[in-house]
Amino acid sequence: MLQADQLTLQLGGRPVLRGIDCAFATGWTAIVGPNGAGKTSLMRVLAGLLPASKGEVRVGGQPFAALGSRERALRIAWLPQQAEVSGELTVREIVHLGRLPHLGLFTAPGPADEAAVDAAMAATECSAWAQRRLPELSGGERQRVLLARALATQAPILLLDEPTTHLDAPHQVALARLVRRLAQRQVVLTVLHDLPLALHADRVLVLRDGRIAGDGAPADPALQHALVRAFDGAVRIDTRGTHPLAVPALDD
Amino acid sequence: MTRALVQAVRTLLAGAVALCLALPAAHAQPAQPAQPPQPAHSTQAAEAAVRTPQRIVSLVPSLTETVCSLGACSRLVGTDRFANWPPSVLQLPKLGGLDDAQVESIVALRPDLVLAAPSARVVRRLRDLGLTVQVFASDSHADVRRSIDALAATLGDAAAGPRLWAAIERELAAARDRVPPAWRGQRVYFEVSTTPHAAGTGSFIGQTLAGLGLANIVPPALGAFPQLSPEFIVRAQPDVVMAPRREISAMAARPGWAALQALGHDRHCGFDAAGYEMLVRPGPRLGEAAGLIADCLVALESRR
Amino acid sequence: MALDLTVPATGATDHSRRRTLALGLAAAAALLLTAGLWVGSEGWAWPAEQAALIVGQIRAPRSLGALAVGALLGLAGALAQGLFRNPLADPFLIGTAAGASLAVVVVLAAGVLGASAATQWFGDIGLAAAAFSGALGGMLLTLLMARGAQHSLRLLLAGVVVGMVCGAVADLLVTLSPQAMRGRQFFMLGSTALLGWHQLALLGAGLALALPAAWRLSRGLDALALGEDTATSLGLPLARLRGALVLLLALATGLAVSQAGLVAFVGLVSPHLVRRFAPAPHGYTLLASAATGGVLLLGADVLARGLLAPLELPVGVLTALLGGGYLLWLLHRRAG
Repeated sequence: MLQADQLTLQLGGRPVLRGIDCAFATGWTAIVGPNGAGKTSLMRVLAGLLPASKGEVRVGGQPFAALGSRERALRIAWLPQQAEVSGELTVREIVHLGRLPHLGLFTAPGPADEAAVDAAMAATECSAWAQRRLPELSGGERQRVLLARALATQAPILLLDEPTTHLDAPHQVALARLVRRLAQRQVVLTVLHDLPLALHADRVLVLRDGRIAGDGAPADPALQHALVRAFDGAVRIDTRGTHPLAVPALDD
Repeated sequence: MTRALVQAVRTLLAGAVALCLALPAAHAQPAQPAQPPQPAHSTQAAEAAVRTPQRIVSLVPSLTETVCSLGACSRLVGTDRFANWPPSVLQLPKLGGLDDAQVESIVALRPDLVLAAPSARVVRRLRDLGLTVQVFASDSHADVRRSIDALAATLGDAAAGPRLWAAIERELAAARDRVPPAWRGQRVYFEVSTTPHAAGTGSFIGQTLAGLGLANIVPPALGAFPQLSPEFIVRAQPDVVMAPRREISAMAARPGWAALQALGHDRHCGFDAAGYEMLVRPGPRLGEAAGLIADCLVALESRR
Repeated sequence: MALDLTVPATGATDHSRRRTLALGLAAAAALLLTAGLWVGSEGWAWPAEQAALIVGQIRAPRSLGALAVGALLGLAGALAQGLFRNPLADPFLIGTAAGASLAVVVVLAAGVLGASAATQWFGDIGLAAAAFSGALGGMLLTLLMARGAQHSLRLLLAGVVVGMVCGAVADLLVTLSPQAMRGRQFFMLGSTALLGWHQLALLGAGLALALPAAWRLSRGLDALALGEDTATSLGLPLARLRGALVLLLALATGLAVSQAGLVAFVGLVSPHLVRRFAPAPHGYTLLASAATGGVLLLGADVLARGLLAPLELPVGVLTALLGGGYLLWLLHRRAG
């Protein structure tokens, strides 16, 4: 559904992405890699926020260039790493902004929009704060509100850049469960620094120096090997349990 | 509840906007000010008096002086805040300056003539309100003469204009004759502000100086009231320095100004406040102002 | 399309605050308009035939004009603060004030220097037209320097540069023609004294254009508040939206400045007051800022006329004192 063809990106003279070639279908793909690997830049190019220097992105077979910005917004929802905090809008009003791709600037919202907002807030468990404002909430609570905003668009493709930052363990787990549920019907890409959580995804994409260093299911030994290599041996994968576990290689 | 509020705000907004657009149309023509009652048996003179302005507001001090010099001082009903000659005008209501004229107060005085200077915004406003406004420039002797003639005609005594101007010219000539021969052709620096700005050849002050047979350190190319660099003034080494008295005493203290030989040799004219005001007002006291300069030069000559 | 202010259902407190503010502003406007008809340098004691002239031709259009100018400035302030996502943004930031005051100086200087036909014509079109075209010109220059409205920071910087350059040129002109300085000073202070029915018609037309247009773009401002990237990812045509907002901003500011000069702080303070009392999405905030600006300027105008009657204070001095005082108090509260 989402395809990247030979994506190359230069920022400030520096090559950030070097010929990224991959396709994403329904399911949860976690993008991991060391700092500076180009994860966020890849997300931004896939979201249409940054034009690639070379290569193109295709959604449902159609390149970005053929789609208007609103059509793209209807297909791809993006959650940034850090969002600006508006002090005037209530939580519900913020989540409601997720309906912009459907409503544009001029259409009045209808019952379908309200239902989508309600569903998004319920999924992220922030219905109770509908009337509160972002500055009153903690970092993790804000994150859930912004995630709800991304969900309210009901786009088939979700790009989440570090959605677990600021979240405590129970909420990280809740988020992972939510993402799993969404991934049954949508394409979900998450950039994650949290390797243990990333290994619960359906597929892991390892980036290093702007190139794909590994691509496969978490259980795949080739992927696990690539992961360890990408992090220069700072982690090792423990496959003794039911699920591969990434642990810091402190004792070696 | 929201819908009701929305409707209310919407109606209010629409109403306010409609009001803004409709009212001006309704009020486009202001009501004419009440006409003065016509006398039962009108003689020619009485008719003439009725037609010429009887209630004059002057927003320019020099025009106030002109009106009074033309003998119509009693017809003034209001002046700007700076008018102070003749002393009788101090009793009149003060209406602000040219740029912050009090429109309401002016209108309340029911003037049939308002005098102003060009490019004053209030002119357009007063005309919109139905008042008669006459505008006079006062940048040169010719301007002063024109305004005197025009005002005299407006006031109903056209002959008074040339009469007044002739008197001014006589005073100018007398002043010229009084200038001691040794001072003819001497180069003058006339300061109009401490920035410093000087009176150039083309300004009315410069024309007065020329009329007295004096030269100007400011070449004509620099304009009417140019801002000069102190360097220029020192290099020009004027023969006479003319400025307000209190500025003369402070002038030598200005950095570099002590090099002015005219200051060192006491070749300067320091005018008191009233005198200086007369010098910088382009009005009917031009001749008297020239006399002040001549008096100063006579005093300087006698001191030598 | 109906003028629909419906936002998703909000809590009772939010809603009642917005309603209270709206009603309060309406009441204040009505009260101040009445005061505006009553207060003036001539008080209340003049012959009856003058009533039509003084109240109808001077006080009425002047009071309504103050309301309209204040509304335009309040709207412009809310637009600027939403556009630049900075609560200290002022409608005079994108070169509008600088351009307007330069144009005013040119006209004033031309009026004095003018002998040629060109300068005569320039003096004739009047300060109002000059100020308006100067405001638009300054804004266009800023847009040119910032190469479009894509980046808020670039726009702000370009606005500052244009401001400095225009100011320098204006100073140069004043040096060459000192008589222009006096008129310029009064322009810089702002004044409602010259607002008649013709000017009010112009202001009313401007408001009739600007308010609905701004309201329609308000959702875009809400999205912008979440960040430019988020707004783009939501499908907003950011460059076009910004361009439209900048145009609206310049129009509102230029019109207000051309009629009343540079009135300080009204544009800056009005959105603040609205946000403090009744935080809301931009659909409400823009309109409420306009209403607040109108009430503030009208109040200042009535004070200017009444405080030291028959002497009249420049209204810009009062708005600067009140607005500046409010900001100081705000800073003090935040620091403490």
